[in-house]
Amino acid sequence: MFQVLPPEPPPQIAAPEIIIERSAATTEEVRVAAALTDARVDVDSGFRGASIVLYGAVFNPTDTPADVVVVVRGPDAPVRLVKKARNMGVWLNSRPVLFEGAPGFYMTASTRPLSDIADFGQLRRLGVGVDHLRIDAPEEARTVTRYGVRDVVVSRLGEDYLDWRRAVIRLKEAAALYDTDPKGVEFVDRGLFRAEVKLPAVAPTGKYYAEVWLFQEGAPVSVSNLTLTVEKVGLERDIYEFAHRRPWSYGVLCVILAAMTGYAASRVFRSR
Amino acid sequence: MDIYLPIAEVSVNWPLLVMLGALVGFVSGLFGIGGGFLMAPVLVFLGIPPTVAVASQASHVVASSTSGVIRYSGMKAVDYRIGGIMAVGGALGALAGVELFRYLRLLGQADLVVSLSYLLFLGSIGGMMLYESLTQILHRVRGETPPRKERRRPMWLYGLPFRMRFPRSGLYISAIPPFGLGVFAGILSAIMGVGGGFILVPAMLYVLRMKASVVVGTSLFQIIITTAITTVLQAGRNQTVDIVLSTILLLGGVVGAQYGARLSGRFRAEEMRAALGLIVLLVGIQMGLELFVRPSDLFLLAPGVAD
Repeated sequence: MFQVLPPEPPPQIAAPEIIIERSAATTEEVRVAAALTDARVDVDSGFRGASIVLYGAVFNPTDTPADVVVVVRGPDAPVRLVKKARNMGVWLNSRPVLFEGAPGFYMTASTRPLSDIADFGQLRRLGVGVDHLRIDAPEEARTVTRYGVRDVVVSRLGEDYLDWRRAVIRLKEAAALYDTDPKGVEFVDRGLFRAEVKLPAVAPTGKYYAEVWLFQEGAPVSVSNLTLTVEKVGLERDIYEFAHRRPWSYGVLCVILAAMTGYAASRVFRSR
Repeated sequence: MDIYLPIAEVSVNWPLLVMLGALVGFVSGLFGIGGGFLMAPVLVFLGIPPTVAVASQASHVVASSTSGVIRYSGMKAVDYRIGGIMAVGGALGALAGVELFRYLRLLGQADLVVSLSYLLFLGSIGGMMLYESLTQILHRVRGETPPRKERRRPMWLYGLPFRMRFPRSGLYISAIPPFGLGVFAGILSAIMGVGGGFILVPAMLYVLRMKASVVVGTSLFQIIITTAITTVLQAGRNQTVDIVLSTILLLGGVVGAQYGARLSGRFRAEEMRAALGLIVLLVGIQMGLELFVRPSDLFLLAPGVAD
């Protein structure tokens, strides 16, 4: 069913990246639209974590109730972890085990517990929920050598895969980087909802992706995609960049600063 | 009152850090040590990643030692000659230590080695200091004369080649033992983030038998060089030096160190040693304890890959 294409919209003049918001309707009637109060989080010297409100509207002319699920993913990064084991009375670390990529931040907020909204298969397919989020692991266990250290890459089919996977999620949850809030999506008015995205101070910098899913009778009917950028700004950024781009001069500067402070202190105190 | 640390990537309460720096500086000025061994465990406790804590506090040690050396130098209590030889050894040790630390960190064994070195070195040295000073105090209280100590230097110090004169220390010995001592302190400096004063001072006193008056000043001089090199290497190789963290720490540190140094004249030497021995021993035990206590989570995130 083709419609006459509307005339092309005038080219947008350098729309800031942050406003990009696409709401795709998988069926014609039921639709969800959402936006973030802040699409950019600045990490400066006062940064103690951030709380961003995601708000949106559900257009649902049908009588079937709809559930909203908000998923926010931070930038992927490899995760290495070790397991402690008791060896002759002393707790020692195992060889590091590597996951090729796990989200640096992951949260879900929903109107009801996820397991009530959709079934296991559906959630798994969409990667919704900490139990279903994708942590990259190859099918075969192998070892990689980085800087002369052999790491074991976790295999998706290995027998202890689930233990390691659960550990990653547990440790990230302990650091407030992963979160599940079954009551995180609140309807403030008919069709109007809000959810809070809480970023801890340790949240990684980079691009975050938010998906707002609308479920009806256990199936996704609409999704809205948003992006969020977390970046260091100001002095914090300058120091970080300096330390990574010119590490040697940075180190020398640190030492000179320390020696000068020591010298200054001894002068100040001697003159008294 | 919180400040975000750009390299450590955590936010901390800065007045608390200034106070910590002042306290450690005070202890360092009081006992004539760098005080790094006290700082690292507290920083880790405050949630700063151990690798960043170890690397950043090295520059705190540079600052407090600089102000110490200037003071001792005015009293002609620094032997630059023997200190220079130890510093060359220290530089080489630091180079090796930073590489070793990098490798251990990637292996996921850095925290094990750090706890083990704390337990081993701090535990034994603290215990020895405590024992020795307590017996002295006991003798004094009972009014006995302390037994005469063996004052001879070990013979092997004379058997080695490259003998040099060190007039300020009153020594004419081979350059190899001070050099080796420097190497050892350099490695410790990289791994434990300490200056190594707690090892150097007893070794210079009891093994090299240097003149007691120049020991502290000389060890501080060698510590400046070693920790300065460690800081540059940690920054260059591992990017783990947080300039904001170290600046906050050393602001409190230099002030604390001056007050500590002023107060140090008020106490008897053996009482000071007993107190220091007790602190050293407790820190060593505290750090070593985690090797034996069942961890709350068997799994642990290991650093690496991304950096």
